[in-house]
Amino acid sequence: MEILQQVKYEPARVVGGYTDRILRVDLSKQKIAIQELPPDFKNKYIGGRGYALKLIWDDTTGKTRYDSSDNILAMASGPLGNEPGFPGTGKFIVGTISPLTDTFVDSNVGGHFGPLLKLAGFDALAVSGISKKEVVILIDGDAGTISIAAAPAYDEEIDNGALSFGQKLLGDVNDGEFSDSAAAVTAGRGASNARFGIVNSLFYDRRRNRIRSKQAGRGGTGTVMRFKKLRGIVVRSSLPKANGNNAIDREGVREAGSQLKEVVSQSDPKQLHLSAWGTTILSEYMDKFHLFPINNYQYGQSPESSQLFARVFFDKYFSKKIPDGCYYGCNLACAKGAENVELTRGPRAGQNVSIDGPEYETVGAVSCLGIFDPHFVMEYNWYCDEYGLDTISTGVTIAFFMECFERGFLTAHDIGYELTFGNIEAAGRLLHEIARGEGFGKVAGQGVARGKKWVAEKYAARHDTSEKAALAELNKFGMEVKGLEFSMYVSKESLAQQGGYGFALKGPQHDEAWLIFIDQVHKELPTFEHKANALKWFPLIRTWFNATGLCKLPWIDVRNPEAANTSEPAKNLPTLAHYVKYLNATTGSDKKLEDVLEDSERLYILQKLVNLRQGKGTRASDQIPLRAMGPAFLNEYESRAEYYDKWLQERLGDGELLPASPEQRHKLLMEKRMQAYQQLCDIVYEKKGFTSEGIPKRETVSKFGLLDKQANQLLDRFGV
Amino acid sequence: MKKVISIEFFGMQRSVTKTDSIYMPVTENMNVTDALEYVRNQYPNLPLDKGMVLITVNQEMVSLDTMLKANDTVLFLPFISGG
Repeated sequence: MEILQQVKYEPARVVGGYTDRILRVDLSKQKIAIQELPPDFKNKYIGGRGYALKLIWDDTTGKTRYDSSDNILAMASGPLGNEPGFPGTGKFIVGTISPLTDTFVDSNVGGHFGPLLKLAGFDALAVSGISKKEVVILIDGDAGTISIAAAPAYDEEIDNGALSFGQKLLGDVNDGEFSDSAAAVTAGRGASNARFGIVNSLFYDRRRNRIRSKQAGRGGTGTVMRFKKLRGIVVRSSLPKANGNNAIDREGVREAGSQLKEVVSQSDPKQLHLSAWGTTILSEYMDKFHLFPINNYQYGQSPESSQLFARVFFDKYFSKKIPDGCYYGCNLACAKGAENVELTRGPRAGQNVSIDGPEYETVGAVSCLGIFDPHFVMEYNWYCDEYGLDTISTGVTIAFFMECFERGFLTAHDIGYELTFGNIEAAGRLLHEIARGEGFGKVAGQGVARGKKWVAEKYAARHDTSEKAALAELNKFGMEVKGLEFSMYVSKESLAQQGGYGFALKGPQHDEAWLIFIDQVHKELPTFEHKANALKWFPLIRTWFNATGLCKLPWIDVRNPEAANTSEPAKNLPTLAHYVKYLNATTGSDKKLEDVLEDSERLYILQKLVNLRQGKGTRASDQIPLRAMGPAFLNEYESRAEYYDKWLQERLGDGELLPASPEQRHKLLMEKRMQAYQQLCDIVYEKKGFTSEGIPKRETVSKFGLLDKQANQLLDRFGV
Repeated sequence: MKKVISIEFFGMQRSVTKTDSIYMPVTENMNVTDALEYVRNQYPNLPLDKGMVLITVNQEMVSLDTMLKANDTVLFLPFISGG
């Protein structure tokens, strides 16, 4: 490999989960620098998302966009990442200004990269600038070197593929051998051509004896990476992983870890059993409760859905009896995979490949296309990973254009072919066009928000209507908020989850709040007050996981039996107690859960400020499409008319008759849904310390020590 | 005609029950505890421990003393909280 720039360094020792160093790489200037962090930095910004946010807040401006030279691509684990004695510690955050939302987005991803980056001496990596030529970054903690090298050229197929290129690169830096001392992140060709490119996290799995991958899927982080002409980053460290954090209280870590592992091993097999089925188990439950996003979220259930249930993937594809965690020591081990799957479609048809996944979200994305073919799910999963595309945004975007075609907003002439729900050939064709940046793929690669504008313009030009009127119709079913496409749950019947999506600072991803069951099934959130409290509490605790380098699943998807004896079982507080103990034992702190929530709230407010600065921080940006609130069109209402009529009658009371026609009932239903969402906005903003316009009050910002000069000016501008 | 309720099984439950659902005859004054006992007798290996599952009737969470009526659908659900 041709080394373009190299510095030597002495890796900092990890102490109490931190190295107190950030590695800075400026690709425009080919400059490599090590930033020493002041002692109080970690107390205020924690790690992971917090570090990425602080870098973006300080080093970018309101004018920064994804393709600006000053945009930063940050990668950071957190103080609790990298401990095989505790479940789910392989997570790290990839954060940047998003090509989809124009504001901060982060995506958490598993694998070995985050832990190894820390062992190599860095709490975070911040890449700025834009390289003149395609490069890779090599961080070698063993050799004590950090290098910028010309991206190696293998052959076209390998060079274009995120998985293929990463695998070759990892072999190259280790004399042709794979090792669990080295990991990589890469972005494929598709990430250059679409705004929803992903960062793949590649690591060597000894048990499968191959390179595996996980994905930082949301928000276009891979698109930013490719725009910087950064094809890959490799990190290496041979330091022992056991007690890699040099915990202050090693015995406390051991105790907390063994207690949580016990909960997982005792409870998961009796609950979702993620260790056997992976997250595909969710498909069946989502379908049962009308939450599966079929045909662009029109219907939550289908008689064909059973072809996408976990047992199909388990019987036909998943390798069995292999512990499948994405990092050492995780006994939830939900990262399922399949070997020797033959691709039957697309440019690589005839090849046998290994596939990591599918996760529920990928299965949901295919149901969103109205497709119920499990082999297509496997192929879609692999192609998206290899191209470097987010399975969620790709699916929602294609589904949006399918609906545009079926409702007459687009013609076959506009697209080049008939793009209908359930049409495997057309869906596959568009996927490959998106990746190659060809044909209609150039439009679709822009995502739903920009797609809506394109369609409105086309439609208005040939009909007697305005672009504004056309856009209003498209806004009903274009499933995006703030520019990000929805994750794979129908939120129509859960007002709390409508808020979970609408208020999510990055856009409608469920990693801030997933309240559907406790709202819709458990009925634990009967009032606006209950919903608003949940919409404050859950985003804060979930933020903490993203700041510390931890996976949420052992907490959120394995219910500790002791939670049944608490006043709010859904919070799973007995399990959170193990996490707080682990935090204190690692870092030497003496925090309680309330302190953890306060730490998270600081980061939450900081992210809100970034949103405000980038133009995505007010009430207007929290508005959700009509379809997220209820049946946007009459056909959706009619598919569950009996249910909706009952719902409406309960709101009207026995003394008032339902309107006579289905059209009138549908209209009234949607008016009530819209009214409820606005009421929810009011009460949630109040709980969060925001104005009625969704802007954080000055005292809220001040309370968390965030009222710096930039924040003052920003709040002045908004008259707060 | 005999009055029954249906009890449906999901995911890993099905690997024990080998069926998607069963019917249970229902008479007056039967409640959710009766359904739970019925299933426990049929499938002693099915994990239905307290704190491990929640019980719904017609897709709404219920307590053990909730009364059952003909054509109700009972589910034993794991806790689902989103990934």
